[in-house]
Amino acid sequence: FLGAGGGNDIQWCFSQVKGAVDDDVAEADIISTVEFNHSGELLATGDKGGRVVIFQQEQENKTQSHSRGEYNVYSTFQSHEPEFDYLKSLEIEEKINKIRWLPQKNAAQFLLSTNDKTIKLWKISERDKRPEGYNLKEEDGRYRDPTTVTTLRVPVFRPMDLMVEASPRRIFANAHTYHINSISINSDYETYLSADDLRINLWHLEITDRSFNIVDIKPANMEELTEVITAAEFHPNSCNTFVYSSSKGTIRLCDMRASALCDRHSKLFEEPEDPSNRSFFSEIISSISDVKFSHSGRYMMTRDYLSVKIWDLNMENRPVETYQVHEYLRSKLCSLYENDCIFDKFECCWNGSDRQRYFLPSPPCSIVMTGSYNNFFRMFDRNTKRDITLEASRENNKPRTVLKPRKVCASGKRKKDEISVDSLDFNKKILHTAWHPKENIIAVATTNNLYIFQDKMN
Amino acid sequence: MLGRGLKRKLSDYEENMAGLSSAFDSSRNLPYPLKRQLVLNMCLTKLQTYKMLVEPNLHRSVLIANTVRQIQEEMRQESNQQPVNVCPGITPSSHSYTGMESSGISLQLPSGISQQESNCCDLRSVEDPIENSLLIVSDDDMSSAISSILKDLDFVEDISPPTCLVPTGDDQPKFPENTSLKLEDDRQDLKGAECVFGSFEISNSTSYLKDLAIDDIFEDIDTSMYDSDFCCPPLMPPRPPSLATEEPLKTFPSCNSSSASNIQICRTDLSELDHIMEILVGS
Repeated sequence: FLGAGGGNDIQWCFSQVKGAVDDDVAEADIISTVEFNHSGELLATGDKGGRVVIFQQEQENKTQSHSRGEYNVYSTFQSHEPEFDYLKSLEIEEKINKIRWLPQKNAAQFLLSTNDKTIKLWKISERDKRPEGYNLKEEDGRYRDPTTVTTLRVPVFRPMDLMVEASPRRIFANAHTYHINSISINSDYETYLSADDLRINLWHLEITDRSFNIVDIKPANMEELTEVITAAEFHPNSCNTFVYSSSKGTIRLCDMRASALCDRHSKLFEEPEDPSNRSFFSEIISSISDVKFSHSGRYMMTRDYLSVKIWDLNMENRPVETYQVHEYLRSKLCSLYENDCIFDKFECCWNGSDRQRYFLPSPPCSIVMTGSYNNFFRMFDRNTKRDITLEASRENNKPRTVLKPRKVCASGKRKKDEISVDSLDFNKKILHTAWHPKENIIAVATTNNLYIFQDKMN
Repeated sequence: MLGRGLKRKLSDYEENMAGLSSAFDSSRNLPYPLKRQLVLNMCLTKLQTYKMLVEPNLHRSVLIANTVRQIQEEMRQESNQQPVNVCPGITPSSHSYTGMESSGISLQLPSGISQQESNCCDLRSVEDPIENSLLIVSDDDMSSAISSILKDLDFVEDISPPTCLVPTGDDQPKFPENTSLKLEDDRQDLKGAECVFGSFEISNSTSYLKDLAIDDIFEDIDTSMYDSDFCCPPLMPPRPPSLATEEPLKTFPSCNSSSASNIQICRTDLSELDHIMEILVGS
């Protein structure tokens, strides 16, 4: 075999695309979050219309060893409805901001989904048998005339077509004044946090009528407000530790054992600004849009407008690695500010942690992936230091054909097959991507389509 | 809104702005003060637009306000260092920024323009198309733009519910002595009755509307003097908003019969209402 991570670059192939084909995007279909569950068997998406769609990976066909199972629709349900807050005369959007899966404990699956104000715990369960042979009821439910019953029988369970049901088990409401941007399940699997622009609350999964406020950065006088919370996540192993990122490019690590209200951080991660890159937009582009711990919890990754940074939790004064996602945009910041693209919130993700079934994987958390414009997405291999730009488009939709790498020409003569910065389509943005926890399968969301890519199996 | 960046018919103003931004990005010869002015005007326009929204985006507003603050600070430092020099002959163009005019951001020549800017004025006569679209904005204008958007964001407030531990399903509505209304800041005191009652409404909204007949409760109380919608339970004087660290636990009385009976219990007579109003208004 080839050594893990060395000389064995992944070759990505198109696998599937889900969603409408038309160019005319229905607003409700805009995908707002994508998340694999812990086994990778299920893939959930949330959209602007408040719906959750869950795809399930087919069980592998032993004879078809050249491809991994396809993802097909497993369950679709309306998670959140638009609401109106009468007290403040405001509409509450039903857009699903985040979905997080709970680890599976029994036959049913559980996930948390949230919009701007309310978090819901959903139970997704299968029903593939039903009782038949009632004495007093016909099969269609009508009651039988008792006088016609001459013998008694015991109803039995008979197989039926699989039905997948989603039901809301808990509704965690009324705890956030500002818009929820993150939810994160604790490693104790009993509690979780929810973060809005100014506050972070801690919940118990069983208790919906109260939550603990653990971070509050709202100043007494709102005119003094200069910083907001942009993302938050629990440490994967320490159930007392969490981090939150800010609009000023800082990450604070907090320990809940230190005090009830974690307003004082245990660690503050911040990179000093590079004076040569200073501009009017420096602060805006330093705003962190996503933060993700590595699976070991030793590192964390942050995404700001132009780059991905890897931080060692033991070193607060600068990241250990920085990857430029689309540095060619640095000279276009004013235009991107004018059309608001500079506020786009890109997410990032690590490659999976567990061994693949067939090949030695790249080591856990050795590759990071994030999206860009023009339906491009980027991957950085931390070991080889190589990076690749790929495109999610229906034009590449031949299964098992390796995707062609893309290149953006920043300036000067444009080579063949390169695309110039000015031709980039800034409406086509990839904000949400997810990596299967165990295999080299990735889910990439364009505005309203979900692409699934796999590595080419030899 | 999918409007962001989507191809649509650009109005004159937007075409202008797009043109200016590309000029900023592509031209290395644009003098720094002009660039700064352009950015500042874009920021103020955005803040203005957000103010008109029912619910401005807090994250963006803060980022833009910080950019304005940064520019404001720069300009203050410059005007402290440089001799005052009024730049002749600059008139703001009339075709842009009508929104800002109506909002009250005044379009006047500030009393202090730095030396740099007066040099830049000469350049401006050369770079006519760009200069004509830019406004002179005073320090006060900037401060007021920042304050007004951030104050607006505060209106979306957050009346924190009582921090007492009210167990769910409790038949006895309890208001123990340690009940305190955690008032977020002193201004909340002034909101008085609405503040107190607002907390009940937020957490009990749905059940309240279903379970109660308001008219029944209040028919014998003359509330015309007090202009409040609810009567309130007898309360200890609220504790002063003390260290936020003391009371992290917030509870949300669940929407069930115990809350309904809480309201039932509120059939106080006028003298108690009097007493409470005095406390809240702080007389």
